Amino acid sequence: MSQSSYDVPAKGGFSFDLCKRNDMLIQKGLKSPSFLKTGTTIVGLIFKDGVILGADTRATEGPIVADKNCEKIHYMAPNIYCCGAGTAADTEAVTDMVSSQLRLHRYQTGRDSRVITALTLLKKHLFSYQGHVSAALVLGGVDITGPHLHTIYPHGSTDTLPFATMGSGSLAAMSVFEAKYKEGLTRDEGIKLVAEAICSGIFNDLGSGSNVDICVITKGNKEYLRNYMEPNPRTYVSSNGYSFTKKTEVLRTKITPLMERVEITEVTGEAMEE
Amino acid sequence: MGDSQYSFSLTTFSPSGKLVQIEHALTAVGSGQTSLGIKASNGVVIATEKKLPSILVDEASVQKIQHLTPNIGVVYSGMGPDFRVLVRKSRKQAEQYNRLYKEPIPVTQLVRETATVMQEFTQSGGVRPFGVSLLVAGYDDKGPQLYQVDPSGSYFSWKASAMGKNVSNAKTFLEKRYTEDMELDDAIHTAILTLKEGFEGEISSKNIEIGKIGADKIFRVLTPAEIDDYLAEVE
Repeated sequence: MSQSSYDVPAKGGFSFDLCKRNDMLIQKGLKSPSFLKTGTTIVGLIFKDGVILGADTRATEGPIVADKNCEKIHYMAPNIYCCGAGTAADTEAVTDMVSSQLRLHRYQTGRDSRVITALTLLKKHLFSYQGHVSAALVLGGVDITGPHLHTIYPHGSTDTLPFATMGSGSLAAMSVFEAKYKEGLTRDEGIKLVAEAICSGIFNDLGSGSNVDICVITKGNKEYLRNYMEPNPRTYVSSNGYSFTKKTEVLRTKITPLMERVEITEVTGEAMEE
Repeated sequence: MGDSQYSFSLTTFSPSGKLVQIEHALTAVGSGQTSLGIKASNGVVIATEKKLPSILVDEASVQKIQHLTPNIGVVYSGMGPDFRVLVRKSRKQAEQYNRLYKEPIPVTQLVRETATVMQEFTQSGGVRPFGVSLLVAGYDDKGPQLYQVDPSGSYFSWKASAMGKNVSNAKTFLEKRYTEDMELDDAIHTAILTLKEGFEGEISSKNIEIGKIGADKIFRVLTPAEIDDYLAEVE
């Protein structure tokens, strides 16, 4: 008689055994894990000729900085970019998926993608997951109908705004925008304002930090300024960085290859026969 | 795929071991408008006749040569609506590959997946085979490539090939004219001359379509003005 199936479901399908265990643990007083804070400052604004998006570059895992220089501005279409706050995996996956759908749509229609299309595809997806896909996005782009800027919340609601901020540093950045934004900004003024807003988030919010990324989208053109500003450079005790002056003497050199060198020869495949 | 009433395949073997439906599909292809492709040393060109059923049809709205990816294009002979469906499926497959592996799909892979779709329709319930043969032209890391895919789902790599009404004349012409070290522009001239061989009436930029891809790996359909230039050079 075999000792089989302690935790193999009898007939396939979901096994609810662990749910019982979780309930028992909660009853005994264990606190279930809470959501990780979003820890980002992302902003966008509409200027005279188009849209400028900005983001910080810190990715956090609780109290630890997981990535000091990550990319939060995601490509959606040649004329549309999207900043993402929230769970990094969720923002990456959802923007990747919608960018793929937009590309197929472009082939079918033969036209450039519109920002409202990206917006609707994103919000439908997020709503159908009832907020469990934790992605808060700032979507901006310039299409045939002009420049557009939208915010999308994890539950699927959206706003259309002339300037927007999201993430844990959003209040710090919004204070800068509310004080200094005006319509008809030039490109340089717009970039300066966006950089200022992101810096405000970087310096005043724990969840945001490192560098400033900026993306400028105008009609027919886009500029991705990666690490536009680096207000937090690495500093070393000595201004020259580390250098090891005392050199060790080399007495003997012996190199042992740890991996076999494999020669790969290509065999061209034959075409199928009928 | 297929109504629940028809869970059996409509494509069945004949006593001689042939799949008669596929033979008929090839006949449908053979009565379609001529199309051809030539692989040059530095690119691929595909071309087709664009005979419209009446002078009242707006020829700008008809596009027989389609993009599957930025570096792969396709042309057909046979039934237009079947072609549309295949193009849509192929584009989706190329996009899925790109999402999964984050690299542009190699030409052979896309051809294989399209051929698999065509084969599925010869072995499923309640559906008929596609009435098109495709010529897929692409340029990837392995260089320029030209593939033909038939309604049965079999595919071949060609240096030069033709399909449709005038296939035997066109292939003879291509066999004589083809050289291994042909350049893309020569190939375009040869393609035009081959189309001219069996053309009824006056050949012009309004009743042929040409698509090309060079070492820049960008597939483009030539504009009527560009076709006029090539036609003038050929004269």
